[in-house]
Amino acid sequence: MSERAKEIEKSAEEIVESFVKDAEKLPELKETYYSQETYNITRPDGEPSPEAERLSFRRKFISNMPGSDDKGNLKVEVAKWSKER
Amino acid sequence: MNIKIGFEVHQQIDTRRKMYCDCPTNYHDVPPNTNVCPICTGMPGSKPLPPNQRAVEAAIEIALMLGCKTITDQTVYIQRKHYDYPDLPSGYQRTSLPIARDGELHGVRIREVHLEEDPGQYEPVAGNVDYNRSGVPLVEIVTEPDMKSPEEARKFLRMLIRVLEYTGKVRPEAGGAMRTDVNISLEGGGRVEVKNVNSVKGAYRALKYEIIRQREKLKRGQDITRETRAFLESQMVTVPMRTKETEEDYRYIPDPDIFPLILDETKVKTTRSRMAEPPHLREKRLMEKYDIPHAAAEVIVSERGLADLYEAVAEEADPKLAATWFQTRLKKVLNFMKLGAAEVKFTPAQLASLLRIVKDKRVTPEQGELVLREMARKPADPEEILLGLGLAPLKKSELTAAVEKAVEENPKAIEDYLAGKKEAMNFLTGKVIGFTKGRANPRDVTKLLLARIKQKDKS
Amino acid sequence: MVQRTLEKLAAIKRGEISAADSVAAALELIEKKDKKINSFIELNQNARADAESLDRKIKGGKKVGRLAGLVIGIKSNINVAGLRATCASRTLENYTSTYDADVVKRVRAEDGIIVGMNNMDEFACGSSGETSAFGPTDNPAAFGHITGGSSSGGAAAVAANFCDICLGTDTGGSIRNPASHCGVVGFKPTYGLVPRQGLIDLGMSLDQIGPLSRDVAGAALMLETIAGKTGNECVMLDVGKVNYSEKLESKGLNGMKVGISPKFSELTDPAVMDVIDSQVEKLQDLGAEVVDVELPNLEHGLSAYYLIVSVEFFSGTRKFDGRKYGKRIEEACGEEVLRRILRGRYISQKEYRGKFYQRALQVRTLIRKELMSALKQVDVIVGPTVPKLPHKLGAKLSLMEMYAYDYLTIPANLAGICAGVIRAGEVNGVPVGLQIQGKALGELDALQVMRSLEAIE
Repeated sequence: MSERAKEIEKSAEEIVESFVKDAEKLPELKETYYSQETYNITRPDGEPSPEAERLSFRRKFISNMPGSDDKGNLKVEVAKWSKER
Repeated sequence: MNIKIGFEVHQQIDTRRKMYCDCPTNYHDVPPNTNVCPICTGMPGSKPLPPNQRAVEAAIEIALMLGCKTITDQTVYIQRKHYDYPDLPSGYQRTSLPIARDGELHGVRIREVHLEEDPGQYEPVAGNVDYNRSGVPLVEIVTEPDMKSPEEARKFLRMLIRVLEYTGKVRPEAGGAMRTDVNISLEGGGRVEVKNVNSVKGAYRALKYEIIRQREKLKRGQDITRETRAFLESQMVTVPMRTKETEEDYRYIPDPDIFPLILDETKVKTTRSRMAEPPHLREKRLMEKYDIPHAAAEVIVSERGLADLYEAVAEEADPKLAATWFQTRLKKVLNFMKLGAAEVKFTPAQLASLLRIVKDKRVTPEQGELVLREMARKPADPEEILLGLGLAPLKKSELTAAVEKAVEENPKAIEDYLAGKKEAMNFLTGKVIGFTKGRANPRDVTKLLLARIKQKDKS
Repeated sequence: MVQRTLEKLAAIKRGEISAADSVAAALELIEKKDKKINSFIELNQNARADAESLDRKIKGGKKVGRLAGLVIGIKSNINVAGLRATCASRTLENYTSTYDADVVKRVRAEDGIIVGMNNMDEFACGSSGETSAFGPTDNPAAFGHITGGSSSGGAAAVAANFCDICLGTDTGGSIRNPASHCGVVGFKPTYGLVPRQGLIDLGMSLDQIGPLSRDVAGAALMLETIAGKTGNECVMLDVGKVNYSEKLESKGLNGMKVGISPKFSELTDPAVMDVIDSQVEKLQDLGAEVVDVELPNLEHGLSAYYLIVSVEFFSGTRKFDGRKYGKRIEEACGEEVLRRILRGRYISQKEYRGKFYQRALQVRTLIRKELMSALKQVDVIVGPTVPKLPHKLGAKLSLMEMYAYDYLTIPANLAGICAGVIRAGEVNGVPVGLQIQGKALGELDALQVMRSLEAIE
């Protein structure tokens, strides 16, 4: 990591230490992960999304890609471990 | 050699929509990145839709099929499992805490079952990513390392696939719908994980290769350290995969964008009562209920449709005869016609009727098979087929007349038989069978001929 | 005070001003004045066409939406298809949004005209408006001072009269803080009331999208437009359409119970507190009963907040890997963004989760309980929005001095309740905002208090 990043990481941890001190005397309570207690929100399986919508999104998706091939694949890095053989 | 083998099986669930978005789940016959949307491609700001209900229910059913205890008293969070890989559009995979634990299948303990989503498809050599598969619902089944040989492992996987198919809620094995991570350790050495093996055959080969590779290392005095490897299908070898950069700490947090699940005890009970009976339990029950041998039961439960057909037929015909037929002739006809049992168009009643005809000895088993083949090709009442094939059941009077005819027309043969030439009987029997157009049963014919000849001899 | 938003809407409906003229005037003003203020990153080239299309609709006597013809600005972390959701960062400087956020769909459906993407603190990681990769935003109500943040551009655009209403986002005060510094109205809705589909979050369990406007009527109209369940995401309240405008009156506050905590003056600059106190007197004049409420652990919310937000931000930014769009965030972002990513990465490690992340979530429970319990005794809690006056642009503050701006706004995010800000006065020409915190789904009470105060200005 660069010098700059190392410095930033140090300052990042500052507030963590201050928190631990700060929270020392506070009671142990149940964690709040969500703002409301709600469970089992699911959606039924069914008719998939309309093709027209997806075609329109696909155009925009591909135009944002740093690299793509003529079939519409996203071009990314080649896996190092596959190069060995 | 102390070998420990375990699996982490990822099985795609059969749904029309993806787990967290409404994109279609078909990724085989479409151009790359066609069945995608902002959610399954990880666009900035995209949020998941509520989880696919059918996927959740399927996972519960699968867990029950594997004899697991469902987690009904704890919050099941959907978590974010963070790691960096090209096929993971958001940089994390959504994976649930276990929905069930502590099951067992054929002596192998099932540690847990949970819900996941498939990543996209990354072609590592070409450097391509296609997100069509990204977001397809998966169920993950983790076993304990209870298997001790590649053969045992292969047997287990085949059994597992059959059980999964029984739910009717998973995608068929072909086309990568089932992938497994294979874990193996030798002689207490480090656990080697071979990732993403696509087939039972592949798992078997990977295990065989690993055993050889690890044995060689041990012979050379080297330790087996814990590592992750990839299986190269084309060359049937494993190669090292994870390098130092990749972190093992997935930094799990409950996904703030998805409310957790709590499985309802009553709902689980209802699911259990409604779902298909697991094959290994059905096999046992059929053997007990119908008093049929294990070999037959095993074949019958190999396909859920076959077992369903058997039980329907066994209500109306002799279950033991039916069992033999299912094990041999029916299986043969189905294989020949490349039909699955669930695809046959004839009714259980029709098949039962045919079996009754066979039992009554109105046709030979061989003839019965011909009728069956015809019935599979074009379903109809077996009596009609018999007529159509000219295999109308042989009347007693017809048989008697044929015997009479053979006796009248072949006096020399009778003389030869009486003189001690046993082959003459075969000749005469053949004649009778010819007259009845093959419908007569050879044993019956011989009996009648002997009686007629005796009669004639007396007079 | 004249309700300018409602007047403008009526004039547009009557045909006195056309939507096209409304937009043209705004764009002219932006052209003239925004170089100095820097409240926009990108302008919408289709704004004029959208306005003209609306005018045809109006002329044709067709029914128009509740925002018809109003000039709207959108914070740069909200997806507007065709415009760049840069989050004021080099990471996404070339990311053209591939879809409309749900709030944007709703604004368009109500005929609001989107003129551009507002400047902000980079990835919402700031409370000053100085950390944008596209330059800091100047405060039109107090030039040379910070606007506050992270919805810096939105607050400034409203204060400078470029826009009628802007959409901002609030994680720990990012709508309310700049509203206070710029002397405009700001409102953070109850968590889960407004859809976040299309919002590039800072902290998923804390963020809400909300309005910045010149008056309470504008804020109420925008809230009505964007609030309500969509079925298009999972974590939302089960609330349908909301109605505030028809119920708000320029009236007294008889029967309303207003709480204030002694903690506020402990934590706040006396000059700021003076302004707040005079507003509290006005509330009493209006007939409200003002009582003391206890918020004994208020200040402990700050560090807990920063731990939670860092973990969630770290998680949310894993998708910025440079493969599908934009650049890899760690390689393109500014200092504070990197700091939060690294902090989040550090805290979320397996061995530290209990000590840091889960502990912070326990403190969250504590703050939440206190606030909810106080709100059982009163209808709303009023007090200062920020503990000190905004500093001058370019002033050097330590990290803790910068974070300290958030003391009084963070608790509402931790608890998920609603909170609004209205201009209370000024200190040496620098605006001071009064914060009104309401119960969860208590928007109407909070807005009413704001309206009543506004009416007597």
